[in-house]
Amino acid sequence: MVVPKQNKSHKARITEASKVSRTLYYIKFKPETVFESKPGQFVSIFCPDHTLRRPFSIASLENNEIGVLFKKKGSGTEYIAGLKTGDTIDFLGALGNGFKFDINKKSLLIGAGVGVAPVYYLQTEIQNAGGNSRLIAGFMSKDEIPSNLSFDEVCTNDGTFGLKGSILDYVEQEIETYKPDVIYSCGPHIVLQKISETSQKYNIPCYVALEKVMACSIGVCRGCVIKLQKNGKIVNASVCQDGPVFKGDEIVWQ
Amino acid sequence: MAVDLSVNKGKLKLKNPILTASGTFGYNFEYGRFVNVASLGAIVTKAISLEPRPGNDWQRICETYGGMINSIGLENVGIKKFIEEKLPFLIKGNVDFIVNLAGASIDEYVQLAQICEANNINAVELNVSCPNVKSGCLEFGTDETVLHNLVSQVREVYSGCLIVKLTPNVTSVEKIALAAQDAGADAVSAINTVKGLSVKIRYINGKFQKETVQGGLSGKAVKPIALGVVNRISQVLDIPIIGIGGIYSLDDVFEFLSVGADAVQIGTANFTHPDISERLIEELKDFMESNGFQSLNELKEKLRGE
Repeated sequence: MVVPKQNKSHKARITEASKVSRTLYYIKFKPETVFESKPGQFVSIFCPDHTLRRPFSIASLENNEIGVLFKKKGSGTEYIAGLKTGDTIDFLGALGNGFKFDINKKSLLIGAGVGVAPVYYLQTEIQNAGGNSRLIAGFMSKDEIPSNLSFDEVCTNDGTFGLKGSILDYVEQEIETYKPDVIYSCGPHIVLQKISETSQKYNIPCYVALEKVMACSIGVCRGCVIKLQKNGKIVNASVCQDGPVFKGDEIVWQ
Repeated sequence: MAVDLSVNKGKLKLKNPILTASGTFGYNFEYGRFVNVASLGAIVTKAISLEPRPGNDWQRICETYGGMINSIGLENVGIKKFIEEKLPFLIKGNVDFIVNLAGASIDEYVQLAQICEANNINAVELNVSCPNVKSGCLEFGTDETVLHNLVSQVREVYSGCLIVKLTPNVTSVEKIALAAQDAGADAVSAINTVKGLSVKIRYINGKFQKETVQGGLSGKAVKPIALGVVNRISQVLDIPIIGIGGIYSLDDVFEFLSVGADAVQIGTANFTHPDISERLIEELKDFMESNGFQSLNELKEKLRGE
Protein backbone atom coordinates (compact mmCIF):
# COMPACT_ATOMS: atom_id res chain seq x y z
CA MET A 1 0.00 0.00 0.00
CA VAL A 2 1.32 3.41 -0.92
CA VAL A 3 1.18 6.12 1.73
CA PRO A 4 -0.29 9.14 -0.04
CA LYS A 5 0.57 12.75 0.62
CA GLN A 6 -1.65 13.70 3.54
CA ASN A 7 -4.36 16.25 2.76
CA LYS A 8 -5.14 14.86 -0.66
CA SER A 9 -8.82 14.31 -1.14
CA HIS A 10 -9.71 10.74 -0.28
CA LYS A 11 -12.56 8.43 -1.06
CA ALA A 12 -13.70 6.32 1.84
CA ARG A 13 -16.34 3.70 2.52
CA ILE A 14 -18.62 4.03 5.54
CA THR A 15 -18.09 1.01 7.76
CA GLU A 16 -20.38 2.03 10.60
CA ALA A 17 -23.10 4.65 11.01
CA SER A 18 -25.11 4.97 14.16
CA LYS A 19 -27.02 7.34 16.38
CA VAL A 20 -25.18 7.17 19.68
CA SER A 21 -27.36 9.50 21.77
CA ARG A 22 -30.47 11.63 21.39
CA THR A 23 -28.38 14.35 19.73
CA LEU A 24 -25.15 12.71 18.54
CA TYR A 25 -24.17 10.53 15.62
CA TYR A 26 -21.05 8.47 15.00
CA ILE A 27 -19.72 7.32 11.67
CA LYS A 28 -16.65 5.30 10.87
CA PHE A 29 -15.14 5.28 7.42
CA LYS A 30 -12.24 3.53 5.81
CA PRO A 31 -10.14 5.30 3.17
CA GLU A 32 -8.66 3.34 0.27
CA THR A 33 -5.16 4.35 1.29
CA VAL A 34 -3.24 4.38 4.56
CA PHE A 35 -4.44 7.19 6.76
CA GLU A 36 -2.39 8.88 9.45
CA SER A 37 -3.51 11.49 11.94
CA LYS A 38 -2.91 12.98 15.36
CA PRO A 39 -5.53 13.77 18.00
CA GLY A 40 -6.89 17.28 17.48
CA GLN A 41 -6.61 17.05 13.70
CA PHE A 42 -9.76 17.04 11.63
CA VAL A 43 -11.26 15.81 8.38
CA SER A 44 -13.39 17.84 6.01
CA ILE A 45 -16.27 15.97 4.41
CA PHE A 46 -17.86 16.88 1.09
CA CYS A 47 -21.65 17.17 1.23
CA PRO A 48 -23.36 17.00 -2.18
CA ASP A 49 -25.14 20.20 -3.21
CA HIS A 50 -23.21 22.19 -0.62
CA THR A 51 -20.49 24.73 -1.28
CA LEU A 52 -18.53 24.20 1.90
CA ARG A 53 -17.18 20.94 3.22
CA ARG A 54 -17.94 20.18 6.84
CA PRO A 55 -15.01 19.88 9.26
CA PHE A 56 -15.04 17.26 12.04
CA SER A 57 -12.49 16.43 14.70
CA ILE A 58 -11.28 12.88 14.48
CA ALA A 59 -12.62 10.91 17.44
CA SER A 60 -10.84 7.63 16.72
CA LEU A 61 -8.48 5.95 14.31
CA GLU A 62 -8.23 2.19 14.48
CA ASN A 63 -7.35 -0.28 11.71
CA ASN A 64 -7.36 2.60 9.24
CA GLU A 65 -10.96 3.38 10.17
CA ILE A 66 -11.63 7.02 11.03
CA GLY A 67 -14.35 7.75 13.58
CA VAL A 68 -16.23 11.02 13.69
CA LEU A 69 -18.75 12.16 16.31
CA PHE A 70 -21.17 14.88 15.28
CA LYS A 71 -24.39 16.69 15.91
CA LYS A 72 -27.05 17.43 13.29
CA LYS A 73 -26.86 21.19 12.93
CA GLY A 74 -28.10 21.81 9.41
CA SER A 75 -28.49 20.28 5.98
CA GLY A 76 -24.80 19.29 5.68
CA THR A 77 -24.76 17.21 8.83
CA GLU A 78 -28.24 15.98 7.91
CA TYR A 79 -26.66 14.40 4.82
CA ILE A 80 -23.86 12.83 6.84
CA ALA A 81 -26.30 11.53 9.44
CA GLY A 82 -28.19 9.85 6.60
CA LEU A 83 -25.17 7.90 5.37
CA LYS A 84 -25.29 4.12 5.67
CA THR A 85 -22.69 1.38 5.88
CA GLY A 86 -21.26 0.82 2.41
CA ASP A 87 -21.85 4.40 1.21
CA THR A 88 -18.88 6.33 -0.14
CA ILE A 89 -17.73 9.75 1.01
CA ASP A 90 -15.13 12.21 -0.20
CA PHE A 91 -13.02 13.84 2.49
CA LEU A 92 -9.87 15.88 3.00
CA GLY A 93 -7.47 15.21 5.82
CA ALA A 94 -5.97 14.85 8.18
CA LEU A 95 -5.94 18.63 8.51
CA GLY A 96 -4.69 21.09 11.11
CA ASN A 97 -2.00 20.89 13.75
CA GLY A 98 -3.37 18.56 16.44
CA PHE A 99 -2.52 18.29 20.14
CA LYS A 100 1.08 17.88 21.20
CA PHE A 101 1.32 15.58 24.18
CA ASP A 102 3.99 14.24 26.46
CA ILE A 103 3.32 10.89 28.10
CA ASN A 104 5.51 11.88 31.05
CA LYS A 105 3.03 14.60 31.99
CA LYS A 106 -0.29 14.16 33.77
CA SER A 107 -2.90 15.32 31.31
CA LEU A 108 -6.39 16.46 32.26
CA LEU A 109 -8.74 16.19 29.29
CA ILE A 110 -12.02 18.07 29.35
CA GLY A 111 -14.72 17.63 26.71
CA ALA A 112 -18.04 19.42 26.59
CA GLY A 113 -20.84 18.06 24.43
CA VAL A 114 -19.77 17.01 20.94
CA GLY A 115 -16.38 18.51 21.87
CA VAL A 116 -15.51 15.24 23.59
CA ALA A 117 -14.46 13.86 20.18
CA PRO A 118 -10.85 15.11 19.91
CA VAL A 119 -10.08 14.68 23.61
CA TYR A 120 -11.44 11.13 23.48
CA TYR A 121 -8.98 10.41 20.66
CA LEU A 122 -6.23 12.11 22.68
CA GLN A 123 -7.03 9.96 25.72
CA THR A 124 -6.79 6.83 23.57
CA GLU A 125 -3.42 7.86 22.17
CA ILE A 126 -1.93 8.92 25.53
CA GLN A 127 -3.04 5.71 27.18
CA ASN A 128 -1.87 3.54 24.27
CA ALA A 129 1.52 5.18 24.69
CA GLY A 130 1.51 4.38 28.41
CA GLY A 131 0.85 7.92 29.67
CA ASN A 132 -1.33 9.18 32.49
CA SER A 133 -4.48 11.04 31.56
CA ARG A 134 -7.96 11.66 32.91
CA LEU A 135 -10.92 12.47 30.69
CA ILE A 136 -13.94 14.28 32.08
CA ALA A 137 -16.96 15.02 29.95
CA GLY A 138 -19.96 17.28 30.35
CA PHE A 139 -23.38 17.01 28.70
CA MET A 140 -26.69 18.76 29.14
CA SER A 141 -28.49 15.58 30.02
CA LYS A 142 -28.07 11.80 30.27
CA ASP A 143 -29.73 11.19 26.89
CA GLU A 144 -26.98 13.20 25.14
CA ILE A 145 -24.10 11.01 26.33
CA PRO A 146 -22.69 8.99 23.41
CA SER A 147 -23.22 5.31 24.18
CA ASN A 148 -20.07 4.17 22.38
CA LEU A 149 -17.54 6.30 24.30
CA SER A 150 -16.37 6.00 27.89
CA PHE A 151 -15.09 8.69 30.23
CA ASP A 152 -13.41 8.80 33.62
CA GLU A 153 -16.06 11.18 34.91
CA VAL A 154 -19.26 12.56 33.47
CA CYS A 155 -21.39 15.45 34.59
CA THR A 156 -24.79 16.53 33.33
CA ASN A 157 -26.32 19.96 33.69
CA ASP A 158 -29.64 18.49 34.78
CA GLY A 159 -28.09 15.88 37.04
CA THR A 160 -29.65 12.91 35.23
CA PHE A 161 -26.27 11.16 35.09
CA GLY A 162 -23.02 11.43 37.03
CA LEU A 163 -22.17 14.67 38.74
CA LYS A 164 -24.83 17.36 38.62
CA GLY A 165 -23.98 20.67 37.04
CA SER A 166 -21.93 22.24 34.29
CA ILE A 167 -18.48 20.88 33.55
CA LEU A 168 -17.18 24.30 34.54
CA ASP A 169 -18.33 23.66 38.12
CA TYR A 170 -15.81 20.80 38.33
CA VAL A 171 -12.70 22.14 36.66
CA GLU A 172 -11.13 23.59 39.82
CA GLN A 173 -11.97 20.49 41.83
CA GLU A 174 -10.39 18.27 39.16
CA ILE A 175 -7.26 20.41 39.08
CA GLU A 176 -6.91 20.21 42.84
CA THR A 177 -7.44 16.48 43.15
CA TYR A 178 -5.84 15.17 39.93
CA LYS A 179 -3.06 17.80 39.87
CA PRO A 180 -2.48 17.80 36.12
CA ASP A 181 0.65 19.17 34.45
CA VAL A 182 -1.32 20.12 31.36
CA ILE A 183 -4.96 20.56 30.33
CA TYR A 184 -6.54 19.83 26.94
CA SER A 185 -10.07 20.78 26.09
CA CYS A 186 -12.69 21.04 23.38
CA GLY A 187 -16.24 22.33 23.56
CA PRO A 188 -18.29 25.49 23.13
CA HIS A 189 -16.34 28.71 22.83
CA ILE A 190 -17.44 30.10 26.19
CA VAL A 191 -16.58 26.86 27.99
CA LEU A 192 -13.08 26.88 26.51
CA GLN A 193 -12.58 30.48 27.50
CA LYS A 194 -13.52 29.71 31.12
CA ILE A 195 -11.34 26.59 31.24
CA SER A 196 -8.46 28.56 29.81
CA GLU A 197 -8.91 31.26 32.46
CA THR A 198 -9.07 28.70 35.25
CA SER A 199 -5.92 26.99 33.97
CA GLN A 200 -4.13 30.33 33.95
CA LYS A 201 -5.17 30.90 37.54
CA TYR A 202 -3.48 27.62 38.47
CA ASN A 203 -0.59 28.30 36.14
CA ILE A 204 -1.17 25.11 34.17
CA PRO A 205 -0.67 25.17 30.40
CA CYS A 206 -3.95 24.67 28.58
CA TYR A 207 -4.53 23.73 24.95
CA VAL A 208 -7.93 24.03 23.34
CA ALA A 209 -9.31 22.82 20.01
CA LEU A 210 -11.51 25.49 18.41
CA GLU A 211 -14.40 25.18 16.01
CA LYS A 212 -15.17 27.68 13.26
CA VAL A 213 -16.99 27.72 9.94
CA MET A 214 -14.36 26.98 7.29
CA ALA A 215 -14.21 27.31 3.52
CA CYS A 216 -10.87 26.07 2.17
CA SER A 217 -9.71 24.22 5.32
CA ILE A 218 -6.05 24.71 4.34
CA GLY A 219 -5.33 28.28 5.47
CA VAL A 220 -5.89 29.98 2.12
CA CYS A 221 -9.23 31.76 2.26
CA ARG A 222 -8.75 33.39 5.69
CA GLY A 223 -12.38 32.68 6.48
CA CYS A 224 -11.82 31.05 9.88
CA VAL A 225 -9.33 33.50 11.28
CA ILE A 226 -9.06 34.31 14.98
CA LYS A 227 -6.75 36.67 16.84
CA LEU A 228 -3.82 35.55 18.97
CA GLN A 229 -1.72 37.55 21.35
CA LYS A 230 1.91 36.62 20.83
CA ASN A 231 4.85 38.50 22.34
CA GLY A 232 2.65 41.51 22.98
CA LYS A 233 1.42 41.63 19.39
CA ILE A 234 -2.01 40.77 18.05
CA VAL A 235 -1.74 38.43 15.06
CA ASN A 236 -4.21 36.54 12.88
CA ALA A 237 -4.30 32.77 12.90
CA SER A 238 -6.45 30.44 10.85
CA VAL A 239 -8.27 27.80 12.86
CA CYS A 240 -7.94 25.31 9.99
CA GLN A 241 -4.21 25.57 9.33
CA ASP A 242 -2.55 27.22 12.35
CA GLY A 243 -5.04 25.42 14.64
CA PRO A 244 -7.49 24.05 15.45
CA VAL A 245 -5.42 23.57 18.63
CA PHE A 246 -4.19 26.75 20.29
CA LYS A 247 -2.67 27.60 23.62
CA GLY A 248 -5.57 28.98 25.65
CA ASP A 249 -3.71 31.99 27.01
CA GLU A 250 -2.70 33.13 23.51
CA ILE A 251 -6.26 33.37 22.20
CA VAL A 252 -7.91 36.78 22.15
CA TRP A 253 -11.32 35.61 23.33
CA GLN A 254 -14.21 37.57 21.88
CA MET B 1 -2.23 15.13 -32.12
CA ALA B 2 -1.77 17.56 -29.26
CA VAL B 3 -4.52 20.15 -29.00
CA ASP B 4 -3.71 23.82 -28.70
CA LEU B 5 -5.30 25.17 -25.53
CA SER B 6 -3.52 28.49 -25.60
CA VAL B 7 -5.10 31.91 -25.37
CA ASN B 8 -3.27 34.58 -27.28
CA LYS B 9 -5.09 37.87 -27.52
CA GLY B 10 -3.06 41.06 -27.29
CA LYS B 11 -1.07 40.98 -24.10
CA LEU B 12 -3.20 38.20 -22.62
CA LYS B 13 -1.11 35.11 -23.25
CA LEU B 14 -2.06 31.91 -21.45
CA LYS B 15 -1.07 28.31 -22.04
CA ASN B 16 -4.63 27.26 -21.31
CA PRO B 17 -7.87 29.05 -20.37
CA ILE B 18 -8.29 27.66 -16.82
CA LEU B 19 -7.17 30.10 -14.13
CA THR B 20 -7.83 30.23 -10.41
CA ALA B 21 -9.50 33.29 -8.92
CA SER B 22 -8.04 35.73 -6.46
CA GLY B 23 -8.65 34.95 -2.82
CA THR B 24 -9.40 31.29 -3.40
CA PHE B 25 -5.94 29.93 -4.15
CA GLY B 26 -3.43 31.69 -1.91
CA TYR B 27 -0.20 33.25 -3.15
CA ASN B 28 1.63 30.33 -4.68
CA PHE B 29 1.78 26.66 -3.74
CA GLU B 30 -0.88 26.40 -1.05
CA TYR B 31 -2.85 24.06 -3.34
CA GLY B 32 0.28 22.18 -4.40
CA ARG B 33 -0.87 19.11 -2.52
CA PHE B 34 -3.99 18.90 -4.70
CA VAL B 35 -2.96 20.13 -8.14
CA ASN B 36 0.11 20.71 -10.23
CA VAL B 37 0.00 24.49 -9.90
CA ALA B 38 2.35 24.99 -12.85
CA SER B 39 -0.15 23.24 -15.14
CA LEU B 40 -2.77 25.97 -14.68
CA GLY B 41 -3.36 28.73 -17.21
CA ALA B 42 -2.44 31.06 -14.37
CA ILE B 43 -3.16 31.54 -10.74
CA VAL B 44 -4.42 34.92 -9.66
CA THR B 45 -2.89 35.75 -6.29
CA LYS B 46 -4.83 36.83 -3.28
CA ALA B 47 -5.42 40.59 -3.44
CA ILE B 48 -2.30 42.42 -2.37
CA SER B 49 -2.22 45.90 -0.87
CA LEU B 50 0.62 48.31 -0.25
CA GLU B 51 0.72 47.58 3.47
CA PRO B 52 -0.24 44.30 5.13
CA ARG B 53 -3.90 44.18 6.15
CA PRO B 54 -5.36 42.26 9.09
CA GLY B 55 -8.79 41.91 7.49
CA ASN B 56 -12.19 42.01 9.13
CA ASP B 57 -13.16 40.80 12.56
CA TRP B 58 -15.05 37.70 13.52
CA GLN B 59 -17.59 35.90 11.35
CA ARG B 60 -16.12 36.20 7.88
CA ILE B 61 -17.84 33.46 5.94
CA CYS B 62 -21.18 31.78 5.73
CA GLU B 63 -22.64 29.16 3.43
CA THR B 64 -25.75 30.20 1.55
CA TYR B 65 -28.01 28.36 -0.86
CA GLY B 66 -25.81 27.53 -3.84
CA GLY B 67 -22.85 29.49 -2.60
CA MET B 68 -21.26 31.41 0.19
CA ILE B 69 -20.82 34.95 1.46
CA ASN B 70 -17.42 36.23 2.47
CA SER B 71 -16.30 39.30 4.27
CA ILE B 72 -12.58 38.66 4.64
CA GLY B 73 -11.65 42.32 4.35
CA LEU B 74 -8.62 41.81 2.13
CA GLU B 75 -6.41 40.23 4.76
CA ASN B 76 -3.02 39.93 3.06
CA VAL B 77 0.73 40.08 3.64
CA GLY B 78 1.32 43.32 1.72
CA ILE B 79 3.33 43.81 -1.48
CA LYS B 80 6.76 43.89 0.20
CA LYS B 81 6.41 40.49 1.81
CA PHE B 82 4.79 39.13 -1.36
CA ILE B 83 7.75 40.18 -3.47
CA GLU B 84 10.28 38.91 -0.94
CA GLU B 85 8.67 35.69 0.23
CA LYS B 86 6.03 34.51 -2.24
CA LEU B 87 7.22 35.66 -5.66
CA PRO B 88 10.50 33.69 -5.71
CA PHE B 89 8.58 30.42 -5.36
CA LEU B 90 6.25 31.30 -8.21
CA ILE B 91 9.21 32.02 -10.46
CA LYS B 92 11.21 28.99 -9.32
CA GLY B 93 8.17 26.73 -9.70
CA ASN B 94 7.50 27.94 -13.25
CA VAL B 95 4.00 29.04 -12.31
CA ASP B 96 2.14 31.44 -14.58
CA PHE B 97 0.57 34.01 -12.31
CA ILE B 98 -1.33 37.26 -12.21
CA VAL B 99 -0.94 39.55 -9.22
CA ASN B 100 -4.21 40.93 -7.91
CA LEU B 101 -3.81 44.47 -6.61
CA ALA B 102 -6.03 46.32 -4.16
CA GLY B 103 -5.50 49.96 -3.31
CA ALA B 104 -7.30 52.45 -1.14
CA SER B 105 -6.40 55.36 -3.45
CA ILE B 106 -5.28 55.82 -7.05
CA ASP B 107 -1.86 56.65 -5.73
CA GLU B 108 -1.68 53.31 -3.94
CA TYR B 109 -2.63 51.41 -7.11
CA VAL B 110 0.02 53.32 -9.03
CA GLN B 111 2.67 52.51 -6.43
CA LEU B 112 1.65 48.85 -6.47
CA ALA B 113 1.82 48.77 -10.27
CA GLN B 114 5.26 50.41 -10.21
CA ILE B 115 6.52 47.75 -7.86
CA CYS B 116 5.14 45.04 -10.17
CA GLU B 117 6.75 46.71 -13.18
CA ALA B 118 10.09 46.91 -11.37
CA ASN B 119 9.86 43.21 -10.53
CA ASN B 120 9.04 42.15 -14.08
CA ILE B 121 5.63 40.82 -13.18
CA ASN B 122 3.91 39.90 -16.45
CA ALA B 123 0.31 40.48 -15.49
CA VAL B 124 -1.73 42.25 -12.84
CA GLU B 125 -5.44 42.26 -12.10
CA LEU B 126 -6.84 45.39 -10.49
CA ASN B 127 -9.34 44.64 -7.76
CA VAL B 128 -11.60 47.63 -8.21
CA SER B 129 -14.67 45.76 -7.12
CA CYS B 130 -14.13 44.27 -3.70
CA PRO B 131 -17.32 45.05 -1.84
CA ASN B 132 -15.88 44.34 1.58
CA VAL B 133 -13.70 47.27 2.38
CA LYS B 134 -15.59 50.35 3.44
CA SER B 135 -12.94 52.80 2.35
CA GLY B 136 -12.17 53.13 -1.29
CA CYS B 137 -12.51 49.86 -3.13
CA LEU B 138 -16.13 49.99 -4.12
CA GLU B 139 -16.06 53.45 -5.73
CA PHE B 140 -13.35 52.69 -8.29
CA GLY B 141 -15.34 50.01 -10.03
CA THR B 142 -18.74 51.66 -9.84
CA ASP B 143 -18.00 55.02 -11.43
CA GLU B 144 -16.73 55.03 -15.01
CA THR B 145 -14.94 58.38 -14.66
CA VAL B 146 -13.07 57.33 -11.54
CA LEU B 147 -12.26 53.95 -13.05
CA HIS B 148 -10.99 55.52 -16.27
CA ASN B 149 -8.74 57.79 -14.26
CA LEU B 150 -7.43 54.89 -12.19
CA VAL B 151 -6.72 52.59 -15.13
CA SER B 152 -5.09 55.38 -17.16
CA GLN B 153 -2.71 56.22 -14.35
CA VAL B 154 -1.80 52.58 -13.74
CA ARG B 155 -1.34 52.11 -17.50
CA GLU B 156 1.24 54.90 -17.54
CA VAL B 157 3.53 53.05 -15.14
CA TYR B 158 2.80 49.44 -16.01
CA SER B 159 3.70 47.82 -19.33
CA GLY B 160 2.57 44.24 -18.69
CA CYS B 161 -0.86 42.71 -19.16
CA LEU B 162 -3.29 44.93 -17.27
CA ILE B 163 -6.55 43.25 -16.31
CA VAL B 164 -9.44 45.02 -14.60
CA LYS B 165 -11.76 42.89 -12.49
CA LEU B 166 -15.30 44.16 -12.78
CA THR B 167 -17.94 44.29 -10.11
CA PRO B 168 -21.50 43.27 -11.00
CA ASN B 169 -22.83 45.73 -8.41
CA VAL B 170 -23.41 48.51 -10.95
CA THR B 171 -26.21 49.80 -13.13
CA SER B 172 -24.38 49.69 -16.46
CA VAL B 173 -21.50 47.26 -16.52
CA GLU B 174 -20.99 48.02 -20.23
CA LYS B 175 -20.07 51.63 -19.45
CA ILE B 176 -17.61 50.53 -16.77
CA ALA B 177 -16.05 47.90 -19.04
CA LEU B 178 -15.68 50.42 -21.86
CA ALA B 179 -14.03 52.89 -19.49
CA ALA B 180 -11.46 50.22 -18.58
CA GLN B 181 -10.83 49.45 -22.25
CA ASP B 182 -10.56 53.10 -23.24
CA ALA B 183 -8.10 53.72 -20.40
CA GLY B 184 -5.80 51.05 -21.77
CA ALA B 185 -6.73 47.81 -20.02
CA ASP B 186 -5.57 44.69 -21.87
CA ALA B 187 -8.41 42.53 -20.56
CA VAL B 188 -11.25 42.49 -18.08
CA SER B 189 -12.30 39.75 -15.71
CA ALA B 190 -15.90 39.42 -14.60
CA ILE B 191 -17.39 39.09 -12.14
CA ASN B 192 -16.26 39.82 -8.63
CA THR B 193 -18.65 38.82 -5.85
CA VAL B 194 -22.22 40.02 -5.66
CA LYS B 195 -23.17 42.08 -2.61
CA GLY B 196 -25.34 40.12 -0.25
CA LEU B 197 -26.37 39.40 3.30
CA SER B 198 -26.88 36.11 5.07
CA VAL B 199 -29.20 36.08 8.04
CA LYS B 200 -29.56 33.04 10.24
CA ILE B 201 -32.12 33.02 13.01
CA ARG B 202 -32.43 30.51 15.81
CA TYR B 203 -35.03 30.47 18.55
CA ILE B 204 -33.29 29.34 21.72
CA ASN B 205 -34.71 29.45 25.25
CA GLY B 206 -37.42 31.91 24.32
CA LYS B 207 -35.08 34.29 22.51
CA PHE B 208 -34.23 34.92 18.89
CA GLN B 209 -30.54 34.69 18.07
CA LYS B 210 -29.52 36.36 14.85
CA GLU B 211 -26.26 35.74 13.01
CA THR B 212 -25.46 37.81 9.97
CA VAL B 213 -22.64 37.95 7.46
CA GLN B 214 -22.67 40.85 5.04
CA GLY B 215 -20.28 40.60 2.14
CA GLY B 216 -19.75 39.14 -1.30
CA LEU B 217 -21.78 36.24 -2.61
CA SER B 218 -19.96 33.67 -4.74
CA GLY B 219 -20.43 30.13 -5.96
CA LYS B 220 -22.99 28.42 -8.18
CA ALA B 221 -25.70 30.90 -7.26
CA VAL B 222 -23.94 33.76 -9.06
CA LYS B 223 -23.31 31.95 -12.35
CA PRO B 224 -26.36 33.38 -14.18
CA ILE B 225 -25.38 36.88 -13.06
CA ALA B 226 -21.81 36.33 -14.28
CA LEU B 227 -22.96 34.89 -17.61
CA GLY B 228 -25.24 37.88 -18.03
CA VAL B 229 -22.42 40.33 -17.40
CA VAL B 230 -19.98 38.52 -19.71
CA ASN B 231 -22.59 38.37 -22.43
CA ARG B 232 -23.36 42.08 -22.13
CA ILE B 233 -19.77 43.32 -22.07
CA SER B 234 -18.73 41.01 -24.90
CA GLN B 235 -21.14 42.96 -27.15
CA VAL B 236 -19.18 46.17 -26.58
CA LEU B 237 -15.55 45.19 -25.88
CA ASP B 238 -12.66 44.39 -28.19
CA ILE B 239 -10.31 43.31 -25.42
CA PRO B 240 -10.46 39.76 -24.05
CA ILE B 241 -12.75 38.76 -21.19
CA ILE B 242 -11.99 36.32 -18.40
CA GLY B 243 -15.23 34.85 -17.07
CA ILE B 244 -15.66 34.16 -13.35
CA GLY B 245 -18.62 33.03 -11.32
CA GLY B 246 -19.81 29.64 -10.13
CA ILE B 247 -17.76 27.50 -12.50
CA TYR B 248 -17.83 23.88 -11.30
CA SER B 249 -17.80 21.84 -14.50
CA LEU B 250 -16.68 21.71 -18.11
CA ASP B 251 -20.23 22.61 -19.13
CA ASP B 252 -19.93 25.77 -17.06
CA VAL B 253 -16.65 26.60 -18.86
CA PHE B 254 -18.38 26.10 -22.22
CA GLU B 255 -21.24 28.37 -21.18
CA PHE B 256 -18.82 31.20 -20.41
CA LEU B 257 -16.83 30.66 -23.62
CA SER B 258 -20.08 30.63 -25.60
CA VAL B 259 -21.09 34.10 -24.40
CA GLY B 260 -17.75 35.72 -25.08
CA ALA B 261 -15.22 34.69 -22.43
CA ASP B 262 -11.70 33.91 -23.68
CA ALA B 263 -10.65 32.24 -20.45
CA VAL B 264 -12.17 31.52 -17.06
CA GLN B 265 -11.26 31.64 -13.41
CA ILE B 266 -12.26 29.00 -10.90
CA GLY B 267 -13.01 30.50 -7.50
CA THR B 268 -15.27 29.14 -4.80
CA ALA B 269 -15.21 25.68 -6.42
CA ASN B 270 -11.60 25.35 -5.22
CA PHE B 271 -12.97 25.21 -1.69
CA THR B 272 -15.46 22.49 -2.52
CA HIS B 273 -13.16 20.46 -4.79
CA PRO B 274 -9.53 21.53 -4.30
CA ASP B 275 -8.34 19.63 -7.39
CA ILE B 276 -11.03 21.00 -9.73
CA SER B 277 -8.85 23.45 -11.68
CA GLU B 278 -6.42 20.85 -12.97
CA ARG B 279 -9.25 18.38 -13.52
CA LEU B 280 -11.05 20.88 -15.76
CA ILE B 281 -7.93 21.30 -17.90
CA GLU B 282 -7.78 17.52 -18.34
CA GLU B 283 -11.48 17.33 -19.15
CA LEU B 284 -11.19 20.17 -21.66
CA LYS B 285 -8.21 18.51 -23.33
CA ASP B 286 -10.01 15.15 -23.45
CA PHE B 287 -13.14 16.71 -24.90
CA MET B 288 -11.20 18.51 -27.60
CA GLU B 289 -9.12 15.46 -28.48
CA SER B 290 -12.04 13.10 -28.70
CA ASN B 291 -14.15 15.54 -30.71
CA GLY B 292 -11.51 16.67 -33.13
CA PHE B 293 -10.99 20.25 -32.01
CA GLN B 294 -7.44 21.34 -32.71
CA SER B 295 -7.43 24.68 -30.96
CA LEU B 296 -9.29 26.56 -28.29
CA ASN B 297 -10.10 29.23 -30.87
CA GLU B 298 -11.83 26.65 -33.03
CA LEU B 299 -13.80 25.43 -30.01
CA LYS B 300 -14.82 29.00 -29.10
CA GLU B 301 -15.96 29.71 -32.65
CA LYS B 302 -18.14 26.60 -32.68
CA LEU B 303 -19.53 27.43 -29.24
CA ARG B 304 -20.46 30.92 -30.43
CA GLY B 305 -21.95 29.64 -33.64
CA GLU B 306 -19.49 31.67 -35.69
